[in-house]
Amino acid sequence: MNTPAKGTPTSEARGETATRSRPSGRPERVLAAMSGGVDSSVAAAMLVEAGHEVVGATMKTFCYSGTRGNSKTCCGLDGIRDARQVADVLGIPHYVFDVEEAFTRDVIDDFVNEYGRGRTPNPCVRCNSNTKFRDLLARARALGCDAVASGHYARLDLGGVRPRLLRGADESKDQTYFLWALPADLLGRLRFPLGALTKAEVRARARSMGLATADKPESQEICFVPEGRYRDFLGTRLLPTHPALSPGPLVDPAGNVVGTHNGYADFTVGQRKGLGGGMPERFYVLEIRPRTREVVIGPKRFLHARTVFVDDLNWLAPPPRAGDRLQVQLRHRGEALPCRVVACNADELELSLDEPARPAAPGQSAVLFAGAEVLGGGRSCGRVDAGARYAPKTALAGCRPGGSDGTADEPPHALASGGTGLGR
Amino acid sequence: MRAMEDLIYADHAATTPLRSEVAQAMDGCREQAFANPSSAHRWGRWARRRLNEAREEAAAALGTQAVRVFWTRGGTESANIAVLGRIRRVAGEGSRPVVATSDIEHPAVARAAEQAATEGAVHVGIGVHRGELDMDGLRSALAQRPALVSCMWVNNETGLCLPVGDVAAECARAGVPLHSDAVQAVGKIPVRLDQTPLDMLTVAGHKIYGPRSAGVLVAPEAGFLYPLHYGGGQEHGLRPGTEDVAGAAGMAEALRLATAELATESVRIEALRTAVEARIRERIPGVRVRDERHVRAPHISSLAVPGADESTLLAALDMAGVAASSGAACSSGSSVRAAQGNDHASGEATLRLSFGRMNRAEHVDRLSDAVRDATARARGLNLEEQP
Repeated sequence: MNTPAKGTPTSEARGETATRSRPSGRPERVLAAMSGGVDSSVAAAMLVEAGHEVVGATMKTFCYSGTRGNSKTCCGLDGIRDARQVADVLGIPHYVFDVEEAFTRDVIDDFVNEYGRGRTPNPCVRCNSNTKFRDLLARARALGCDAVASGHYARLDLGGVRPRLLRGADESKDQTYFLWALPADLLGRLRFPLGALTKAEVRARARSMGLATADKPESQEICFVPEGRYRDFLGTRLLPTHPALSPGPLVDPAGNVVGTHNGYADFTVGQRKGLGGGMPERFYVLEIRPRTREVVIGPKRFLHARTVFVDDLNWLAPPPRAGDRLQVQLRHRGEALPCRVVACNADELELSLDEPARPAAPGQSAVLFAGAEVLGGGRSCGRVDAGARYAPKTALAGCRPGGSDGTADEPPHALASGGTGLGR
Repeated sequence: MRAMEDLIYADHAATTPLRSEVAQAMDGCREQAFANPSSAHRWGRWARRRLNEAREEAAAALGTQAVRVFWTRGGTESANIAVLGRIRRVAGEGSRPVVATSDIEHPAVARAAEQAATEGAVHVGIGVHRGELDMDGLRSALAQRPALVSCMWVNNETGLCLPVGDVAAECARAGVPLHSDAVQAVGKIPVRLDQTPLDMLTVAGHKIYGPRSAGVLVAPEAGFLYPLHYGGGQEHGLRPGTEDVAGAAGMAEALRLATAELATESVRIEALRTAVEARIRERIPGVRVRDERHVRAPHISSLAVPGADESTLLAALDMAGVAASSGAACSSGSSVRAAQGNDHASGEATLRLSFGRMNRAEHVDRLSDAVRDATARARGLNLEEQP
């Protein structure tokens, strides 16, 4: 090959070849997940600065055609372009991995099915556990990389007998809520360079490094749902006659029909439901009954519960035992609520909250903490405790109705996930 | 870690580096031919003379007359002017034009034809099945009296040579104009309009070690087409804008060299490709060469690698210092493979190796080994593994 022209392959050669001194630890070859957003850009840059050999990767998760309005979020084609530009500035290679098939199967189909069943999914949790890290670690292994890094605000303690996942230092940005479902055996090969930083520090670093993404806005939407219009998105995936999209009755806790709705997919348990007509009290969605298409609404006090049932469990630490005192987080940016483990087996966990609270909507994540450490988590199955004042008449053993709250009139998935595919 | 001499560039179908002779020809324009060729002063005359010398050289290399050579700024522009310009010209006469293209055209032609269809033209596809252009399909398309047939000379993804001579004969019989995108053909196989008479031809500079922003469109006359740009009337109004004299000079030199060296270089490149394909077949079970049993241009090898993840394969090759691509470098997905049918199973990677002046005989073993190792990595990938 010819001698490189001025400015061309030299910066990349530097990134690929130099073994720089690193303050601590041996230099590794790391596959850095880059969404094009500021967080993953800075994470990749920090690894380069620390002397690692960094390979940038962006996952193309879904078909972008027809979602042009969504390109501003970090998963759009613009994201791929931005990630590539940042990689060029850092002098590292950058590859795009097409994971559309797996992402559709493991994340989008689940998202649609969950809404179809009257539940409220966390697609970002599923993407992290089923698609993103699993896929990238497989590719990392194939490309001779030691680890996979991402821009999550979370910390890993790799010094002990087992890797421990800890909350990010910036409490307002902590993203461990989205990471509880990671297979525990992957933890040791993950790197979260931003864990000790605040968002402000990350932006400052991005600016000082001259990264084009420094002032990109936060992405809070679900990456594959254009402009947050999830009902429209469901309409492209479900038949128009699907019960979730068909009109049904609004009923009160006693079973009286008080109105109609245009499909229970519009609702999430805990969401406030305005009824209009000068009703004196604010009503909340208490339960969704897919079989009869009933949406049960009632006053807020019916939402609160002391007992939380969680299934679909995953543990990053040894599973807790009955009597253990822990904290449980029931929504992104929600408080960690002190609780006691009543029972825990392989399939289900029963918690007793110190103070009654609004449980997560069925399908939403419940994440268990011991202080800063993420022990694991599961999904709220919606079963309510006997002490609840509202006892749903269709309550089955295990997982169906229940009480919860997001708060207000936000769309359900805004409560659900607060994030997009690559960034969360 | 990796010295430049250890790297292997096997992506000549994507682009090629500027040859030093070409750079010299372009540099030669700086002092004597820098001026605006439209200017009346002596500097303008020098520039104009150099531009038209280049036109003569290009025409000679392509076996046509200088009056038929129009300078453009690249292959995509030439193809767009040929297709859209012709369709708009015919539509301007009041009739609803038909444009017929092969199903495996580069997007520069295919998308231009789609655009013509959105403007009211009828777009007719001519199938290519297992490496054979559907001649009956061509004849039935010709029966619709199209305003233009466009048939590429060499496919950019597999190197497949289309029977442009036969197509030209059919078109001539029907009195229908033919355009051929010869971007991947020039310098690889003989492309001479005095031997294969057709109406329009597209050539790009950067695929033949020429400048990136220079292209040629051969056309009967400017009035045969509507322009896509409007301005000062340069190139008889077909491609207005102050002419790039240095680009034209470089393109002409690149064409001259490509033609002069065609006989030796195409044999050398084909020998390299044959050796690489043989080694890869020995070393990687299950690999197929696309369009292998058909006439191919000598520089492209399109490998179907079953069981391998394509993006991982290319990433692993890049990390091993080998530049290759999955198909066309500039667009994702392959209309060509889809159009040919049955040739692209899911879970099968396509690796396009394309050879040229940056490759030498001693690359054969190293390249084959690198492809074998990268394939092993891309096949070992277990993305479906559950915990």
